[in-house]
Amino acid sequence: MDPDKCIACGVCAEKCPKKVDDKYNAGLSQRKAIYVEYAQAVPLKYSIDAENCIYLTKGKCGSCKKKCPVGAVDYEQTEKKLKINVGSVILAPGFEAFNPNGLDNYQYANYPNVVTSLEFERLLSASGPTMGHVVRPSDKEEPKRIAWFQCVGSRDMNKCDNSYCSSVCCMYAIKEAVIAKEHAGDGLDCSIFFMDMRTPGKEFERFYENAKKKSGVNFIRSRVHTINPVGDTGDLELRYVTETGELKTEIFDMVVLSIGLQTPPALVDLAGKLGIELTPGKFCKTDTFSPVSTSKEGIFVCGAFQGPKDIPQAVIDSSAAASAAAEVLAEARDTKTKEVAVIEERNVVGERPKIGVFVCKCGINIAGVVDVPAVAQYAASLPYVDFVDENLFSCSQDNQNNMANLIKEKGLNRIVVAACTPKTHEPLFQETLFNAGLNKYLFEMTNIRNQNSWVHKNNPELATQKAKDLVRMAVAKVALMEPLKEVKLTVNHTAMVIGGGISGLTAAKSLANQGYETHLIEREHRLGGQALNLFHTAKGDDVQQNLSKIIESVNSDEKITVHLNTQINNVDGFVGNFVSTLSTDGKTEELEHGVAIVATGAAPLVPTEYDYGKDPRILTSLELDKKMINHDPMLKDLNSAVFIQCVGSREPERMYCSRVCCTHSIENALELKKINPDMNVYILYRDIRTYGEKEYLYKQAREQGIIFIRFSLENKPVVTSKDGNVIVTITDHVLGRPMELNADLVSLATAIVPYRDEQLANFFKVPMNEDGFFIEKHAKLGPSEFATDGTFLCGMAHYPKPIDESIAQAKASVARAVTLLSKTTIYSSGTIAEVEPAKCASCGVCVSVCPYSAPSFATEGRFAGKAEINPALCKGCGLCVASCRSGAIHLKGFDTDQIFSQIFEMDEAV
Amino acid sequence: MAENEPKILSFLCSWCSYGAADLAGVSRMEYPPNIRVIRIPCTGRMSPKFILAGLKQGADAVWVSG
Repeated sequence: MDPDKCIACGVCAEKCPKKVDDKYNAGLSQRKAIYVEYAQAVPLKYSIDAENCIYLTKGKCGSCKKKCPVGAVDYEQTEKKLKINVGSVILAPGFEAFNPNGLDNYQYANYPNVVTSLEFERLLSASGPTMGHVVRPSDKEEPKRIAWFQCVGSRDMNKCDNSYCSSVCCMYAIKEAVIAKEHAGDGLDCSIFFMDMRTPGKEFERFYENAKKKSGVNFIRSRVHTINPVGDTGDLELRYVTETGELKTEIFDMVVLSIGLQTPPALVDLAGKLGIELTPGKFCKTDTFSPVSTSKEGIFVCGAFQGPKDIPQAVIDSSAAASAAAEVLAEARDTKTKEVAVIEERNVVGERPKIGVFVCKCGINIAGVVDVPAVAQYAASLPYVDFVDENLFSCSQDNQNNMANLIKEKGLNRIVVAACTPKTHEPLFQETLFNAGLNKYLFEMTNIRNQNSWVHKNNPELATQKAKDLVRMAVAKVALMEPLKEVKLTVNHTAMVIGGGISGLTAAKSLANQGYETHLIEREHRLGGQALNLFHTAKGDDVQQNLSKIIESVNSDEKITVHLNTQINNVDGFVGNFVSTLSTDGKTEELEHGVAIVATGAAPLVPTEYDYGKDPRILTSLELDKKMINHDPMLKDLNSAVFIQCVGSREPERMYCSRVCCTHSIENALELKKINPDMNVYILYRDIRTYGEKEYLYKQAREQGIIFIRFSLENKPVVTSKDGNVIVTITDHVLGRPMELNADLVSLATAIVPYRDEQLANFFKVPMNEDGFFIEKHAKLGPSEFATDGTFLCGMAHYPKPIDESIAQAKASVARAVTLLSKTTIYSSGTIAEVEPAKCASCGVCVSVCPYSAPSFATEGRFAGKAEINPALCKGCGLCVASCRSGAIHLKGFDTDQIFSQIFEMDEAV
Repeated sequence: MAENEPKILSFLCSWCSYGAADLAGVSRMEYPPNIRVIRIPCTGRMSPKFILAGLKQGADAVWVSG
């Protein structure tokens, strides 16, 4: 297919006689041999499945070529080899889902109602084969009982070779169960069979808790060993052993296998060709302190090839990889940038509207249903319409030139295009206006294809009438459009990083490496933050050595100014133009900067339980690290050590998992075993959450005789001091009886607690969640930035995380910041809100409702005390406009009179 | 619009529901043509006045989605 010609009309697929299984819908439905992979594909272009195309396999048919209205089908296309000269490479090849076909105990291949989680995902999706209505494959009946099996193809050396944890399956299984129940109502029973429930991500624990308490999803800690069919009913009988050792048999309608992530063989080959090293789990090998660098210089990695991970982490990694690549290429920045030619804009102010209406036929896509000549004729009768044209394809290049000429020739000053959707085509037509010297906002597009001809194909008469109505509404609106200005702002190229921990240090260094002056603000007298307390990473690296190296590189970088013992007293300004007041040892100074990165970190909880503080042998994890850093001789004399997990985490008042503690305790437990292999080491836990390849540590710990004993929130261990001994009492989860452990050392895995810095949040007008962590722009797609432009976020101020993830997010926040810093000027959108100060009552509603902190009260001038809106921050959502009780705010492009004009023209008798 | 069909005026958020309505077209779903869509930049833009105006203008129902 020629993508430049294809208009995605879909005639080819409609006429294609060959049906094949739709891979996107996990084979649950069929598509044609000429197809779009999925409805949201960008760009929306059809392609030929060469393996199944009748013409390409047998030389006959050719139906799509005959029917294509734009001649986009080209059977001669072949693979082309391109040579591209690049300075660095980023690998983002992803993963493949584990194929459970080979697992004899689950009989995925033989029982139709055993499905994979990906298949279930498609069943739940509104764009899936059942439009989101969950039915089981065998008889298309609604299931009443669904079971999920966790760790299929993960944490398993018996049935497969994937001994790592795939990191994402617990969360997606809970999500699938909750959505299925939401869809089906209370009649559906959902049970998740798991080993450890791993929900260590931001807001995940709360989601898990709500799934149990509010949605009523059952969680059963067991691995099901057999599935048997129940006659020919399609039902499935599960046999499993409960936590108390009881054998149970239950019948379910459907089983979902939560399949894991793995690196496909082709990728292993590619890694071999590129000469990059892989981990034992066949993921790309990286170092804790350079988490997106492969073993080969200049090649970076992100996403699930770096290690199994969820979307937020993959997005963080991808920005981090971009930053790492940009550091190497900093000198080449902008060397290939081309300038856009400036076209003089015609002044139309004061002119009577002269509207041009262009009605698109879109081949037969619109014209096949809607009577386009009738619509065009009708348009010509509308007020202020001076010119009407019908186009076979309004979007084609020759029509763009034609349109630009017509605008100039006829002196048109408002344009309506009735065609497909403004979501894809508005920018194209606006560019044509721009090229014709017309302000691009003197334009309105109305949708007579996606929302008309395509959905009313059996109702041509009413569709034609609807098209006329839509054109009339658009004409009424466009007549009221005015030329809009995009405000130009200069960007200060200095960056401020707040927090001198490992995240802040990394961010500052990355900014400096990309050529930007950076000020690093630290409230303490030294750099390093919480990393100063850590002994080893999960991979066994010495934290202090590596930290010293980073601090040294920051201190010696002439582009970085370090401000120790420094507080921020005030922040003024906005994106590109901040002024912060810093106070260092009583002296204040003003710092002008274009962006700010918040890397303020978090602190360990001081425990109030387990007799902490009453005996020197009862320590927190970080205090134990301190002893290890200092090679404390007491560590040699220990005969027994007990680690207690979730101290302050996953509690009702702190409903989040601190993410790092399971790995940290296991790492320290192994360290103790190294010092004295005969030491009795116990880890008392609720769920072991060694996600990803950290799972190897857990396995290693069990192999080395470290004993893991599980407890529940309702039945926590008790620490007492008796006759000079520290005794830990815990109920064994298998025996169900209390046991006493004699402990020479108790290490408490304390929660990571945010600083809840209200003042900083106010300075930058950024939000915090109920736990006190800052809230990012978007949980999945904007994890390293705030919704307020020019402000970014990384490290533990966002959520607890280990060093490698902190470093990745620090680099990610820099990548996001550099999208601004690399520009000398930025332009606001034209469609933004503006205050009419004479009407403003200074009530402050706009200031409080805006999610982007755009409105504020003017502090000086004629309208001091009235609201004003910063065009640089306004996103044009209109929330303030709708909230303004005085009608003092106007939203350009969607102003009240313009929307009313559409409403008034809605259904005039035709 | 057909005589006996209710007239529906709808305000769709440009970011989500308007896109969903486009997707319904791409997926060739069918629905009755007695609906007129006004695209708004966000449902935050929605004002009760628009709903009242729509009803006054003769709409039998107003649908806001975003």
